[in-house]
Amino acid sequence: MSDTRTEEAPPPSDGGPREPEAPKDRAGLLAYLIGHQSGVVIVVALVIALLIGAALIRYQGVNPWYAYEVLLRGALVNDGALTRTLQKTAPLVLTGLAVVLPLRVGLFNIGAQGQLQLGAIFGAWVAYVAGGAGFLGAVLGMLVGIVFGSVVGLLVGVLKAYRGVHEVISTIMLNYIVAGVTFWLVVGPLQGESSRTSGIPQTESIPEAARLDTVAGVPVGFAVAVVLAAVCWWVLGRTTFGFRFNTVGANKEAARYAGVPINRVVVLSMLAGAGLAGLAGALEALGTLHRFEPAIVGSLGFDGITIALLARANPLATIPAAFLVGILRTGAAGLQFQTGIAPEIVDLLLALILLMVSIPVLGKWLFRSRADKQSVATTSWGN
Amino acid sequence: MKSTRYLVAVPAALALALAGCGGSTGTSGAGGDTGSDTGSGDTAGYSTDDSNCADEEVFCIGLVTDTGNVDDKSFNQSAHEGAEAAATELEGVYKYIETQDAKDYAANMAQFTDNSYDAIVTVGFLMTEATVAAAEENPETKFIGVDQGYPEGTELTNLTGLIFPEDQAGYAAGFLAGLMTETDKLGQVLGQEIPPVQKFAKGFENGAKAANDAVSVQTVYHPAGDNAFNDPVWGAGEARKQLAQDVDVVFGAGGNTGNGALQEVAKADGAGESVYCIGVDTDQWDTVPQAQPCLITSAMKLITKGVTDTLMTAESGEFEGVQTVGEAGIAPYHDFEDTIPDDVKSQVEEIVAQLQDGSLETGVTL
Repeated sequence: MSDTRTEEAPPPSDGGPREPEAPKDRAGLLAYLIGHQSGVVIVVALVIALLIGAALIRYQGVNPWYAYEVLLRGALVNDGALTRTLQKTAPLVLTGLAVVLPLRVGLFNIGAQGQLQLGAIFGAWVAYVAGGAGFLGAVLGMLVGIVFGSVVGLLVGVLKAYRGVHEVISTIMLNYIVAGVTFWLVVGPLQGESSRTSGIPQTESIPEAARLDTVAGVPVGFAVAVVLAAVCWWVLGRTTFGFRFNTVGANKEAARYAGVPINRVVVLSMLAGAGLAGLAGALEALGTLHRFEPAIVGSLGFDGITIALLARANPLATIPAAFLVGILRTGAAGLQFQTGIAPEIVDLLLALILLMVSIPVLGKWLFRSRADKQSVATTSWGN
Repeated sequence: MKSTRYLVAVPAALALALAGCGGSTGTSGAGGDTGSDTGSGDTAGYSTDDSNCADEEVFCIGLVTDTGNVDDKSFNQSAHEGAEAAATELEGVYKYIETQDAKDYAANMAQFTDNSYDAIVTVGFLMTEATVAAAEENPETKFIGVDQGYPEGTELTNLTGLIFPEDQAGYAAGFLAGLMTETDKLGQVLGQEIPPVQKFAKGFENGAKAANDAVSVQTVYHPAGDNAFNDPVWGAGEARKQLAQDVDVVFGAGGNTGNGALQEVAKADGAGESVYCIGVDTDQWDTVPQAQPCLITSAMKLITKGVTDTLMTAESGEFEGVQTVGEAGIAPYHDFEDTIPDDVKSQVEEIVAQLQDGSLETGVTL
């Protein structure tokens, strides 16, 4: 992690068309493919991962195409399946964004797990207390989720900016601290009355009125997540504020020379990212579990890292990336039910996809000399 | 975007993502054994072909774990084995789903109800609420909640929570401890002071006194309600204190707190020779291997048998009530088979039999 080399690539311009770099005589499809090679690499990676997965499924004595069909049916086609997939996608988009924002500044946020958890417990508790206010209670719960998620991010950002504490260390350590604190809260002061005698670690159930429901099959949380992804994309790509993020990420020293307040950008990026993770937690509490229990986190925070990298740090691309993870996670149970394959196959597929997308080998192999320069680059500059 | 300055992050991300997944899900080799899309579990004595579940003649059993695998050497595995036994006995159909995410309980149970399964076993108290909700929605399906106590006023005839007489398990373990002790001093290191733990503890004390009236029992509950079941350091400390006061059999009951006590005793001088420990809930020989040097037995809930019996009841008629009380006993002695004298073994065996047939009361009241 600590080896940092500078890179000479221009600041990233996300979303927009890539520069055409194919020679003039190579017009048409090939040039198009070379121009959009990061997309091509992802598609090829998906195919390869699914093929390897197919071999493993075959090895377990199940027809892989049938297995994939079951997976997709279970996630998209069956009754209510799409709603469930979108429900799972919503927090994943947000934890993806929670990693993307700091990544644009060159910081690696591994703490979405903890930020989500703190947002979830306080979001759930406030929504319970303010449950009488109906929808307002839900809004309040979300805001509180954002605030408490941000508190964790603020801590990390300030330590990074003013004390030079490596954010990978502080975020990962804070995951443990938050897990401990929330567990203490959920079996102590915030434990539900009815759970006290049995000792079940959970908070009181959020009243019906303050829960987030689905509108026409689309979970409210999903709509919120999509809007926020679009907002992040707009801010990063179209505003001075976002330009500062990208400049710091591309070259901190140049940014400092240009008068960008680096410390403030660092703190803000962590604050915003962590706030989104906290919101993801609150949405989970309000929309799916209707209370906090430690299992609410699952692997959402770590999945966020996968999603951010799949999305190549593009906020809009987190939506399809999260949707992919959502499909796999939703379809997994049906896969085991129908075919007997252990649901862990899904984790395996995700890991394969991430591996393929991340290592530069695939791009080199596909595009030879025309491959994008995969300069190993600056992250976590202030070590 | 051409620049890939976040590439450095990738190896770390992979490591973390993999570690994260590995930690939460573990391994499962069992999934493949239960058959494929066409396969039927011939070797297992039951079928996994559920196409006939709507048929009255075919009894279909489903099982949903609480975010664990069916080979977790704990509640999930015990319940899984019980369901397998029932399916074999009834020549029925059996399948299971290992829940990956606590938010999927309802969806996983729906897989079974959608396919007209007759009975669904849900494992662990975390699924209590989801199970009640599913039972309300599916009056045609019978639900068995392992280790689930339902709130007062739950009146469903298609639902039963399988609970276990902790006091009997404690009593049997205490009886053994009372016969094994040389110093006449026993210790208990316990989790939070809540009814199930109290039942274990009082049963243990009564059992010990019944075996040996000279015995004295030191009882200590975790003082705080916060991490009462997850404080192995405290558990170890209390066990050490008790050993220093000549206690020679320690009963550790309270999740990781109790496990901490067991592991501490296993490290003590004379562990397995003059100092012993007793585990709780399941056979902790498997779940806490570090305790093996001192672990003579565990005060055990007989989940496997309970699940099988309750499934039989579900097949033949009505549940006995919203709660079904299973049986309790003690785990095998494993390596201590030869250490424990034969007359002790036969006395304990008799006590366990009397407890199970109801002729002996533990005298525990809360």
